[in-house]
Formats: sequence, C-alpha cells, structure tokens
Amino acid sequence: MISSAHKSGNIIRRASKATVVLQAFAVLLLVGLIFLFVDISRKYSALQDGIRENALWSVYQLDREARRLHETLHIMLAENDLSTKQVKALVTRYDILYSRMTIIEKSSFERKFRLDATVAEQVAAIRDIVFGREKTFDRIVASGVVDPSELRATDDDFEELVHNTEKLLIYSNNTVSTERAEARNAVMSLQTKSAALIILLVVCVVFLILTLRRQLKSVRLAGLSLESLSNALEQAYHDVEAGNRAKSQFMATMGHEIRTPLNAILGTAELLELSHLPPSVATGVQTIRRSGEALLEIINEILDFAKIEHGNLDVEIRPVDLRAVVSATVVIIRDRATEHGNRIALEMPVAFEAPFISSDPTRLRQVLLNLLSNAIKFTKNGLVTLRVSEMRAQDQAVLRFEIIDTGIGIDGDGLCKLFRPFSQVDASISRKYGGTGLGLTICKQIVEVLGGRIGVDSVKGRGSTFWFEIPAVPAERLSDDADVDERDEDQVLPRLHILLVEDNRVNQQVAAGLLAHIGQTVTIASDGLEAFDTARTMHFDLILMDMQMPRQDGIEATKRIRNSDGPCKTVPIIAMTANASEDDRLLCEKAGMTGFQSKPVNMKQLRRIVRSIGCVDDGDHNEAADNAPLGTTFESRRAEVVEALGEDAFAELLTSFFDDASTLLRELHGALAANDSRSPDRLLHTLKGAASSVGLQDVADHSEALRQQSLTDNGLRELQDIVTQYKQRLAA
Amino acid sequence: MNARILPAVLALAAVLLPLPAGALDLPKGEVILTVTATRLDHPNVDGTAQFDLAMLETLAGRVGEMETPWTEGKVKFSGPLLRSVLDAAGAHGTSLKVVALNDYEADVPMEDATTLDTMLATRIDGKPMSVRDKGPLFLVYPFDQNADLFNEKYFSRSVWQIKSIKVAE
Repeated sequence: MISSAHKSGNIIRRASKATVVLQAFAVLLLVGLIFLFVDISRKYSALQDGIRENALWSVYQLDREARRLHETLHIMLAENDLSTKQVKALVTRYDILYSRMTIIEKSSFERKFRLDATVAEQVAAIRDIVFGREKTFDRIVASGVVDPSELRATDDDFEELVHNTEKLLIYSNNTVSTERAEARNAVMSLQTKSAALIILLVVCVVFLILTLRRQLKSVRLAGLSLESLSNALEQAYHDVEAGNRAKSQFMATMGHEIRTPLNAILGTAELLELSHLPPSVATGVQTIRRSGEALLEIINEILDFAKIEHGNLDVEIRPVDLRAVVSATVVIIRDRATEHGNRIALEMPVAFEAPFISSDPTRLRQVLLNLLSNAIKFTKNGLVTLRVSEMRAQDQAVLRFEIIDTGIGIDGDGLCKLFRPFSQVDASISRKYGGTGLGLTICKQIVEVLGGRIGVDSVKGRGSTFWFEIPAVPAERLSDDADVDERDEDQVLPRLHILLVEDNRVNQQVAAGLLAHIGQTVTIASDGLEAFDTARTMHFDLILMDMQMPRQDGIEATKRIRNSDGPCKTVPIIAMTANASEDDRLLCEKAGMTGFQSKPVNMKQLRRIVRSIGCVDDGDHNEAADNAPLGTTFESRRAEVVEALGEDAFAELLTSFFDDASTLLRELHGALAANDSRSPDRLLHTLKGAASSVGLQDVADHSEALRQQSLTDNGLRELQDIVTQYKQRLAA
Repeated sequence: MNARILPAVLALAAVLLPLPAGALDLPKGEVILTVTATRLDHPNVDGTAQFDLAMLETLAGRVGEMETPWTEGKVKFSGPLLRSVLDAAGAHGTSLKVVALNDYEADVPMEDATTLDTMLATRIDGKPMSVRDKGPLFLVYPFDQNADLFNEKYFSRSVWQIKSIKVAE
C-alpha cells in the first residue's frame, strides 16, 4: 500500500519536472515572439514613415520639365519666333520647372535619398542653374521685352541643366533600385526569422502536446493508484471498525451474560433478607447483596464507558426537581458514609431560583453518586460536604455542585491523571481502594454532554474538592414525578394481576418472589408462545415481558398480543432486558410495548412499575391513600428499637413522643400568638430531635423546614396535621 | 440684315434671351479653370464652364490646416470644394480627369468629390498660389480630417497647377 503511494508520488513528481521544463521553454518562446513582434512593429513604423513623395518620380518630372523648357527655348531660337504667345509659353515652362525644383528642395522623400551626398551635390548644381535664371524670366514678365542674346546664353545654361538632370535621374534610379533590393533583403531576413520562430513554435507545441499527453497519462495512473490506495485504506478502516464492533458486541454480550446470573443472585439475596433469618446469616446475605450491587455497579460503569467510547452516551433531558434529586442522592449514600465513619453534610439554598431545571436526572444522580462515593471511599472518619449553589457565569445561570471531603487528597501529578480512562492516581490506590478507574471519565463525559464542565482542587493530605457546573435552564415543574420521588416505597401499592414472561427459572423465581412480596398476584409464562396463549384466555393488569426467549421472543409475543382480540389487547406491557440499548428501546416501542425496564430488576423498580400502572388504572387508588406511608426510616428505627428493647418499649416511646409533640405544638401556638420570635426555633428543634429518635423522619424534616423560615399559622397547622395523622395511624 | 448690326443683335440677344437655368456668369478675369463634359447643365463659354479666381472663391469652400509631403510644416489651404465647383458647372459623371499645366493627368473618382471634402485650393496660408508655387489650383484632399488618406494612392491624385477638369460619364 505504501509502495503504491510512493509510486504515484514519483509519477506526479516526474510530471511536474516535465512541466517545469515546458514552462521554461514556453518563456523562451514568448521572449522570441516578443522580439519578433518588436521587429515587425519597427518595420511597420518604417513603412508608415515611408509614406512620402516618390523621389524617382519627382526627379523624372524635373528632368522632363527641364527638357521641355530647353526644347521650347531651342525651337524659339531656331525659328526666331519671339511672339508674345511663345514667350508666355516659355515663361510658363520656366515656372513649372521652378515649381519642380521647389518640390525637389522641399518635399520629404525617402530617407536614403535625402541623406545621399551625391544627390545633394547634383541637386545643388541643378538648383544653381534653375534659380540663377529666375531674374531673366522675371525681367521678361515685367518688361515683355526679350533679349535674344540673353536667351541664347540661357539656352546654353539649359543644355548643361538637362545634362545634370539626366545624371541625377540615372543616379536616383540606381539609388532607389539599391534601396529596393535592400528592403527586399530586409523583408527576406524578417521572413526567415519568422519562419525560424514558427518552426520553434511548432516544435514547442508538439512538445507541449506530447508532454501534456504524458502528464495526463501519469496523472491518470497516479489517480488510479491513489484510488486503489484509498480503497485499501477504506478496507483497512472497515476491518478495524468491524474489530471494534465485535469488541463492543462482546462487551454487550458479556454484560448481559454477567448481569443475568447477577440478577438471580441479587434477587435471591433480597428475598432472603425479607424472610426472617438468624442475624449471622442475615449479615452474610447482606454482604452477598452489597457485593453483588458493587459488582453490578462496576459492570454498568464498564458498559457506560463502552457507550461513551462509541460516542452514544444517551441523555434524556426533562424537568428535574433539584431538591428531590440531591436529597435522594444523599439519602442513598448516607449508609455507605456511615460505614466509613464519615458524616455527610448537605449545603443547599433554602429556595432555588429555578427549583426545576432542564437536565437528565438519572445522569445527574449518577455523577453525584460517583463523586460522593469517591469522596467517601477516600475519607476516613471525616466530613463529606455536598454544596449546591446557583451562580451566573457569562450571562448564564449555572448550577455548581461541590463535593468537599477531608480525605487523603491528591498531589499535582495525580491531578493530571484524573478524568483519564483507566487511570487512577497510582497503582497502590487500586490495590487499596479498588474501582475501575472509569468513574471520573464517565462523570466528565456526562457533564460535558449536559453542557457543563468538571474540575478538582486538592491538597495532598488535606482533602479534595471535586466540582462540576451545569447550565441551569429553568423548566416547568413536572406533573408526573414518579421517577423523582425516591420514597415511593412508602406508598401502599395497588394489587394487580401480573403476567410474568421469563424463560430463566431462577429469574422467574426471583421476580415472582419480589412481586409476591409487594402484594401482587403473579402468573408465569416461560416463553412468548406460552405468554400469548395465557394472555388470550385471561385478563391481566400488567405483563412483564422478557426480550430474549426460546421459541418466541418478547417482541414477537407483544406484536401477537396487540394484534389479537384477547382480553390483554390493550394491557400495559413492560419489556425487561439486559441489553438496554437505544435500538432495543425503539424495537420495543414499535412492537407496541408500553415501557422498558433494564434488567436486573429490583424491588424498587418493580414497585415503581406497579404503582405507575396502578395510577393509570386508578381503580384502587383510594385504598392506597388510606394506608398512608410511614417511611423506611420509621421501619428501620422501629426494627432497631424493637430489637434492642422489644415491641412494648417502642410503643411506649411512641406514646411519649406524641404526648411531647402535642405539648410542643401547643407551646408553638402560644408563641405564635404572643408574637414571640425566639422560642419557636428552640421548640421546633426539640420536636425535630424527638421525631428523629422514633424514626418519624417526615415530622423531623417538617420541623427543620419550619425552622428555616419565620413561623406562620399555616405552616404550624400543617405540622400538626402530620403529627395527628401519624398518631392515628400508629394507634390503629 | 445689315451685317454691321448682327453682332449688336447677337449681343442684345445674349443679354435679353434667358440663358439656361442657373448658368454661370462669364469670367471677368483670367480663366484659370475649365470644366468640360459631354453634357454640362450650366456652361458659360462654348459648352464649357470656365472660372476665374473670383468666381471660384465665391463658391462654398473650406479651410484646412495640414501637412503634405510637398510642403514644409503645417500649411493652411483654402479654396472651393471640388463638388461645389462641379455643381456650379452642372457636371455629372462617374470620374474626373484632372489636367495640369504640364499636361499631367490624374484620374479621380467622383466619390472623392462627393464623399470627401476635397478642395481646389486657391490659396496657401491666405496667399494666392503662383505657378512656381504649385498654383493656380491645387487639388487638396482633407488629410487634416482623415489620416487614412495620407498615402501614395491619394498623393498621386493630388494634382497641382491644375488647368482643367474633364468629367467622364
């Protein structure tokens, strides 16, 4: 390939060398042509200059008139005829000769003639005679008297004059003839030069044509060789592309292959955790689940990175409830922080200028989680602060997130390596702390796709501040914030009849178990055909459809169900797949599926699906509202207290909380009425602390929120309502 | 009839009888140009048209300042246009034979008179021209108006010392 490129390069170089030679030749020719043109134009101007009176003709006329005058005079003398008529004729003849003489004197003749010394000499002799007799004729005209002796003398003069004019005529003829010959020679030489130049021209043109032909041929050859080269390159590129595609395909397949068993492991662990286990076993199961989750996270990271490498990191821009996303992220990470002995602090404005912005909540959460978990990972017994602030940069509203830790910090060299794929600050880091080294690369990509920037400031040993900024484009508040609400577990779910279509037996068991646990009725189908048959005879509220199955896959089954007249024609069908690519999503949509869920599915996702379907259904919505959420914090708190002190002690604790709460609320009302601005803060703080200790996070949050603003009647009433609700529910 | 009174009758007749329409006056001074043709509309003497200097100088003419091969520097020629002389004579034809005192004859196409402002110069720099100075009449082409005329073809037609013009049908 390289040699052919070299060859075509040589061909082109040779061709350009020939062109240079040709150019030089053409320039030479041009110079020759210029010389020829100059010569021709000089000759032409000489010709123009030569437009003059004919010297030979004038000399001939002079000679002729001299002869006629001489003849007239001779006859007069011979016949002795001196009549007035004859005299007048003679005078006229003399006048004509005189005028001829003037012509010779004054006219502009050919250059050669004018400058010839012999001519000048002879003309002078003739002039002397002609003008010498002027007085004689003047006298004759004046007096009318003719002196015969004078006439005779004149006749003798004219004898000589005629002789002289003849001599001049002969000499002039010779001169003019010579000149004509010379002129002819000059023209001949010009013609010869022209002919030589024309021959040169012809040679040059022939050479030009030949060179051009050669050049065209070489250029064509070079073109062909370049074409074959480009074909080869294209082929090579395709080969590389194919290799890369194969690699991606392999990664996707591996991801799928790893996630399917992992799904089973996680699901089983989750189910196990729900059953009553001895504490020792429970810890083991928890470890299994945590490790599985960590493994899943790593796999997801790698798959994300593969997507980034292909430039198709998908981002879904929609309205984001900032407060919800940030709080939820902190809630998720809090447990892990506690494990490392770290405290987490959230610094957030009380009210955002734009509480809802246009962004991708999932990706935003991903970045926050990644940076927060990094901070926690590299900090021991310290403080991790998430600070969110709104600012303006270059006339644009920007949201700045800072994750500040008091961890090990990074030195200058390490800072350079950050944000680069597969790199960690140093090898010991990966041994000690683990991780793929892809997290920050992914974060960087996501932030950049979201139109922002990311950076870090750090001092080794003192801690690091990772920050990123994204544009804060205000958005309309979303009506359906099912996705944002992380606390959907608290809500009681509608009871649905669900058709679970799944070929893998373990996955069947896990999914069915999870669904049963959240109170759903499940029917299982093992493949598309079975699903279609079942759906034709029975009504379901929801179908969860695996994509890859033997006999008939999810897409085909969905199409058939949608096209049939069975009871499930319009039932929501949610696809479940490990291959969560955009193409798959499109395929599902085309087949008529309602939604899309990437595997492995966990309890939370199932809850969300069931809840969203229930909402659409709306049938048992009221029932759900009756059983208001109590919150996980409450459940876990209760579990803790019950485990430590027993069920009775917790009930007692609750009773005393509600007693205290009513007292505090009463005092708050009093303070509000008395316009006392100082005591409410203290009272609310007390209430918050008490609520937290029994796990009523909602009450604690509300109290804290009221502390941030000046207390109003409405706010207080709301708080009281919440307390009352909890009291009623827990009492029941 | 008395032979003695015949000339007087003839002279009277010459005065009283109308001459052909637009006939030329008789020349009073020396005749310097004779125009002959097979048929002339306005002959004045013996079927020819004869002009003296005064007659010529009353005709429409032009003044032209120009260089010629036969003069030194720029000179000013003036005189009647050739076509006004021919019109005055009532001459029609296709070509002219211009005859000089030395019997030199040049053929001049009629177009030279009709399309060009060719003149019969009577004066050079305001002075009448003697025979010695190419007089009395000189056929001058308008070299000042049209440079293309400045060549041998027109030089040979530029007759001087003109004595007569013969108009050919």
